[in-house]
Amino acid sequence: MAENKESEPKQDPIRIGVYVCHCGLNIAGSVDCAEVAKFAATLPHVALAQDNRYTCSDQGQAGIKKDIKENKLNRVVVASCSPRLHEPTFRKACEEAGLNKYLFEMANIREHCSWVHLYDREAATEKAKDLVKMAVAKAALLEPAQEVEVPITRKALVIGGGVAGIQAALDLADTGYKVYLVEKEPSIGGMMARIDKTFPTMDCSICILAPKMSDAGHHPNIELSTNSEVVEVKGHIGNFHVKVLKRPRYVIKDCSACGECAKVCPVIAPNEFDVGLAIRHAIYTPFAQAVPSTYIVDMNLCLNKEGVIVCDKCIKACERQAINFEMKPETEGLEVGTIIVATGADVFDPSGLPYYGYGRFPNVITSLEFERLINAGGPSGGHLIRLSDQQIPKRVAFIQCVGSRSDRNGRLYCSNVCCMNTIKDSLLIKEHWPDTEIYVFYVDIRAYGKGFEDLYKRARKAGVIFIRGLPAEIVEDKKTHNVWLIGENTLQKKLYKINVDMAILSIGLEARRDSEVIQRLLTLSRNQDGFFLEAHPKLRPVDAATGGVFFAGCAESPKDIKDSVTQASAAAARAGILMAKGKVTVEAITPIAYAEKCKACGLCVKVCPYNAITLNEDLKRVEIIEAACGGCGTCSAECNFGALTQKHFTDEQIIAQIDAVTEHDAEKKIVAFCCNWCSYAGADFAGVSRMQYPPNVRIIRTMCSGRVAPKFVERAFARGAATVLVTGCHLGDCHYINANYQTQKRVERLWKKMEQNGLNKERLQLLWASAAEGERFASKIREMKPMVEGVKPEEIDKAKKVFEKALGGS
Amino acid sequence: MPERIRHAPLDKEKVKSARGEIHLLKDECKGCGYCIEFCPKKVLEESDEINARGVHPPKIVDESKCIVCGFCTAVCPDFAIFVVEKPNKGGS
Repeated sequence: MAENKESEPKQDPIRIGVYVCHCGLNIAGSVDCAEVAKFAATLPHVALAQDNRYTCSDQGQAGIKKDIKENKLNRVVVASCSPRLHEPTFRKACEEAGLNKYLFEMANIREHCSWVHLYDREAATEKAKDLVKMAVAKAALLEPAQEVEVPITRKALVIGGGVAGIQAALDLADTGYKVYLVEKEPSIGGMMARIDKTFPTMDCSICILAPKMSDAGHHPNIELSTNSEVVEVKGHIGNFHVKVLKRPRYVIKDCSACGECAKVCPVIAPNEFDVGLAIRHAIYTPFAQAVPSTYIVDMNLCLNKEGVIVCDKCIKACERQAINFEMKPETEGLEVGTIIVATGADVFDPSGLPYYGYGRFPNVITSLEFERLINAGGPSGGHLIRLSDQQIPKRVAFIQCVGSRSDRNGRLYCSNVCCMNTIKDSLLIKEHWPDTEIYVFYVDIRAYGKGFEDLYKRARKAGVIFIRGLPAEIVEDKKTHNVWLIGENTLQKKLYKINVDMAILSIGLEARRDSEVIQRLLTLSRNQDGFFLEAHPKLRPVDAATGGVFFAGCAESPKDIKDSVTQASAAAARAGILMAKGKVTVEAITPIAYAEKCKACGLCVKVCPYNAITLNEDLKRVEIIEAACGGCGTCSAECNFGALTQKHFTDEQIIAQIDAVTEHDAEKKIVAFCCNWCSYAGADFAGVSRMQYPPNVRIIRTMCSGRVAPKFVERAFARGAATVLVTGCHLGDCHYINANYQTQKRVERLWKKMEQNGLNKERLQLLWASAAEGERFASKIREMKPMVEGVKPEEIDKAKKVFEKALGGS
Repeated sequence: MPERIRHAPLDKEKVKSARGEIHLLKDECKGCGYCIEFCPKKVLEESDEINARGVHPPKIVDESKCIVCGFCTAVCPDFAIFVVEKPNKGGS
């Protein structure tokens, strides 16, 4: 298992091929690619250097393959986009030409160079040269490696039983995989079960959902756990160990849902399913079509506490003796290969907007409350009634964008569904009560989907009045409880004051308030709006950055039913691909242990987040369990004796990169270390968003910030670097459980050392940035610019002296 | 369902829970206080009066809160309290 020492360096001389990509004008627009290629040709070991328009094209790849064979290249460097985008493409091309894929290296001169230095061609070209030099220096030291294959458990976990979760579970189950569907609420169905009709076809929502719910509940391949939550996720792609907390229902499966228990239950409370507009008992079923149909006891309300049966009315009423107050919460362990996150979204709470009076005025309701009122199975039996006097309103107003598209009151983004939902709602009212006057106050009507515009036209034809300009205020008439809407019609530039019987706030969707829990459990990222971040916005829209995890439905962004179902099927297909293969290759980035250098100190054992290293007391050395290793490399950074090094991110390779950066003009540069999952992706995001920042930074990629050994930082300073920036995922969000806590410790230790030696510790910066925080990364580099310029030559020399020990050997 | 509930249920008038008539046999009471302690709706309270056995029997604070669970009857060691369910319709 351990010390599989690599063979001595190849006898063949190292021949590196460098390909500088124009990427059309994406790179060539601000970098002189021909010049970079010419420069690359002068670097040691480079046998061939050229620039071409699209290296990732079939032609470009064919060229690389040809050169590998004809020019006997044994290392390839492509200077183009982010390795997070095209590394797999080029690795595959190398493999096809018979070159081990670990002999390929990439220089990111698009996201990290041309796109962020659009207006400084000279500096961008210089930076691109440096980046190529770093890649070539690393490439010369690359070693071939074989990947370990890990079997995949052919079972999936779907978190969340809304329409997306149900669809994903059914698709996977129909494919033949075992699926665990975990739902927090007592019934599956989610938001769709609460809606009356769907747009644009006006289908009855529960009528089309209920058969699916029932299928999911009875499918032989689906194990449904309601009233349950995922509390722990360990392991990795293909082999997740999940713990699910199953809260007791206090009613066993024998329940026939006759409802006799609820009739006698003396405790009543508002039913959350109906947004409190109807009453339920302490023993209840949230709605008629609930799956499972088994009743449930709300222990927060029930008179019976901690095994003391105070009230036994339900027990007596139950003919089938299905009620059991002895039930206890259980934690079940699951082994799954893939996970689909379909946790859905919350709705915006408008009670924080005082000018709309929601919560104070009885006849101001939300669109969700409207859905329950207009629903035939709802609390009013399908009659849209005013809450003040239970009368059917004659004049109704809808107010759009409540909690959406606002930088002051709510969220910045468009919630995607509210425009069409309102149009559908207005038609529903017209259908039941054609004489009702309906006003819709909007900012823009976004009827972008298939059949949406037709529905919008239908609503206008039916006489719904659309007025552009949201009311500034809603005022209630105290006597009649009618409401006045006061605002400006921005098309006519006139003020309006309209009296209606009822106002409906079209509330937006927002990320689940408890998304953080799932985020932590699965080490996911979220965007600034709080929704989960996909691995790539265009090409991997349902994959999470964490391998084996996929998204479906509103957890990823607000979307309508159709899109949720589409995404769910996509997620199921993506998960199915993995499970059909039955095995996954683990990147060869596990550590190598050199037994002869190991002092058996056990420091690496302590820092390993995966318990993948054990100390063999007898042989006085450590042993690595490769299958358990996550590949963060924090063990290699911890080892003081060079007895451990991470494959493909060896000490020598990283030091070669540092040396390449600091060879010229080190005193003007920032040596930055970025972790693959958060900060490197964040820097990529800055590039994609064309956020401009100073060109003085050189990024070295590691898998985790935990790989950054103090000696790397010391080496950079010893070679005269002005500043060093260490970046990683936010604490608690580490892709490798907690490895970035080691980063923090190491940086703090370095700060102390710098202070003790009279160095300005500001020269070493630490930044936590997520994959979505491109601006955070860019502004850090901007902020560091004066710092870099302010470092005096004597300070550089002093640092060189203090850390000169770091120069000796590696 | 995490939404905040801002409106009262429409059917709160229709759904009526059981209403009880509490009967105290004050002189049987030995003042153990079990009924007061265990009533889930806190309908009872210790009174100031002194009964034949020289203790404070319970008194009814708010009979309308009683939901006729009958637990007071079950825990009373001296059979000094019982509840009769009042018919719902004619009740109010």
